[in-house]
Amino acid sequence: MTSRLPVSIRVLAVLAVSFVALPLLSLLWRVPWARLATLLTRDAVMDALLLSVTTSVVAALISLALGVPLALQLSRMTGLAVSAIRAVVVLPMILPPVVGGAALLFAFGRNGLVGSVLADITGLVFPYTIGGVVLANTFVALPFVVITVEGALRAIDPRYELAASTLGANRSRLTFKIVLPMVRPALIAGGFIAWARALGEFGATITFAGNIQGKTQTLPLAVFVALESDREAALVMSVLLVSVSLIVLVSLRDRWWPVR
Amino acid sequence: MTKSPSPLLDARVVLQRGDLSLDVEIVVERGETVAIMGPNGAGKTTLLYALLGWLPLQSGWVLLDNEIFEAPGQDQVTSTQDRNLGMVFQDGLLFPHLNVVENISFGAEKEADNHDLMERLDVLPLSEKYPAELSAGQTQRVALARTLAARPKMVFLDEPLASIDLTARIDARNSIRSALEQSLAGALLVTHDPTDAFALAQKVLVLEEGRVTQFGTPDQIRSQPKSRWVADLMGWNVFHGVGHGSSVTLADGTQLATSESELSGETMVMISPSSVALFLERPGGSPRNSWLCRIQRVEHLDSLARISLSGPLDLYADITSDAADELDLTPGRDLWVSIKATEVRANTILGRRH
Repeated sequence: MTSRLPVSIRVLAVLAVSFVALPLLSLLWRVPWARLATLLTRDAVMDALLLSVTTSVVAALISLALGVPLALQLSRMTGLAVSAIRAVVVLPMILPPVVGGAALLFAFGRNGLVGSVLADITGLVFPYTIGGVVLANTFVALPFVVITVEGALRAIDPRYELAASTLGANRSRLTFKIVLPMVRPALIAGGFIAWARALGEFGATITFAGNIQGKTQTLPLAVFVALESDREAALVMSVLLVSVSLIVLVSLRDRWWPVR
Repeated sequence: MTKSPSPLLDARVVLQRGDLSLDVEIVVERGETVAIMGPNGAGKTTLLYALLGWLPLQSGWVLLDNEIFEAPGQDQVTSTQDRNLGMVFQDGLLFPHLNVVENISFGAEKEADNHDLMERLDVLPLSEKYPAELSAGQTQRVALARTLAARPKMVFLDEPLASIDLTARIDARNSIRSALEQSLAGALLVTHDPTDAFALAQKVLVLEEGRVTQFGTPDQIRSQPKSRWVADLMGWNVFHGVGHGSSVTLADGTQLATSESELSGETMVMISPSSVALFLERPGGSPRNSWLCRIQRVEHLDSLARISLSGPLDLYADITSDAADELDLTPGRDLWVSIKATEVRANTILGRRH
C-alpha cells in the first residue's frame, strides 16, 4: 500500500498534468471534425504530409545506419574519449534547432566547409532542397538512436560474448548473430523515436532547407504558415502530428522508459 | 595411433585482477576430469577465463594438446574463438533470442547432426522452446549440449549444478558424467560441492587466494587435507596450537601427540571424525591422546552417527549407528575419547617444515 502525499504536492501534480494536457485538449476541441477530410486533401497539406513522411523515414533509416555502428563502437570504449564523443553526438538533442540549422549551413551550404567541395565534385547541393530536409532531420534524430542503442548494448552481460567466442564465433558473427539481435527492442525503439523526432523537426529545417511548398515545406512548417492564413488547416495538421507522436510513445512505452 | 605421453592441458597462469593475485600451474591428463575447488574469490572462474584467452596472462603459458596458445617470448596469442575450448556457465547463458535447436547448432559445423547428442542429454523435446521457457535443469542440459555440439577438445564447467535444486541435481550430475565419459578428451569442473567433485572428477585442485593449496585424488583430499578450508569442508576437527617436536600445545594447555617430529611454532591440527575412538572405560595402555569428554549432541545420518563432544577438546566423532546404539550414547553422558597419534595431522603454519 502506498501512503498519501501531502495535499500541496498532489495539487501541484495535478497542475503539471493539466498544463501539458489542456493545450492538447484545446487543440482537439477546436478541430473542425466534419471538414477533416476536405482540409486534409488540400494540395499544401498533401504536399507537406508526403514530404514529411518521406524525409522523416529516410532520416530515421540513415540515423540507424550511422547511429548503430557508432553505438557499437562507443559501447566497447571506456574513459574520456567515450564521454567526449558522446557529448558531441548528443549535442543536437539540446542544441536550439535554429543553431543546428545555421551550423549545417556553414558546413553543407553552397559556400560551406564540406558543401563547397561536395558541390564541386558531385554537383550535390543541400540548402533549399529535399536533401537538405533529410540532412536537417538526420542531424536532430541521430542522437536518439545512438543513446538508445548504446544503453542497451552496455546492459548486455559481456559473458554472452565469451560464450559465443568459445563456440568459435568470429567478430562479425558475434555482432550480427548475437549482439544486434539481443538489442532488437532498442533498435526498434531508437528507430521510431528518431523517426518521430525527424517528423516534428522545425528549426533546423527552416534554417537550412527553407520553406518552399512541395519542396522543403514539411508538416510542422506548413502548420506554422497556416496559422497565419488558414487556422482550420493548421489545426488538422497539428492533430495529425500529435496523433503520430502519441502512437509512437504508447507503442514504445516499455522500451523508452521503464513502466514499473 | 600412438599414445602421446604429453598431457592434454598444460598451463601456468599468472595474473593480477583487482585484489586477486593468481599464480596457478595446472596439468590435465587426457581423459581426465579435474575439479577446481576453493572458497569464494579464490580465483577459480578467473583461472578458467585466463585459460580461455578471455583475460590476458601477465606471464605463464597455455598448451592444449601440444598446441601453444600463449607462451613466454611468443607474441601471437591464440584468440578465444580459435582455442577449441568449451565453456558451460553457471547460469547456462543460453542466447535468449535463439531457441534450443538454434542455441545448440550455433557453434556446430553447418551440416553437423546433433540429434544423438540432443537425445542423450534429453533435450530433443525442448527443441522449439526459448531459454526463458526452460527450468534450471533443462537450461543446464541445453548449455551442455550447445558446448559439446561445437566439438571442443576440452570442456570447462563453471558451477554447472549450482543453480539446480537438489532433487534434479542427481539427474543433472549423471548427464554431465555420461557426457564427460562419452564425448570428451578432458574437463575442468569448478564446484563448491565436494559431492560433485568426487563424483565427476579423478583429480581435485584446491585453490585458495590465487594459489594451489592441494592437488590430488578425491581420496587424498578426503584423507589428507592440507589446508583449513579443505579440512572444514570434509567435516574434520581443526585446532590451532604451538608445535614443538612431535606434539602440539593448544591454547588451553591441552597436549596433542602427533606422528610428526619437527614441529615448531604455530601449527594447525586436523583430526578426522572417523578416527576419534570412543570408550566407556578409560582405555588401557595409557595412550597419549586420551580425554574424558561429555556428549553434547548425537545426530544420525543414514548408518552413521555424528557425536558432538565437549571437554579438553571440542570434537566431532563419527561412528556407526549400530555402535552408537550399543554404547547407549545419549547427551549428558561422559565418555573416554582416544585418538592415535598417527591419526593427528599437523601442519606448521609459520616457519614451514623442510
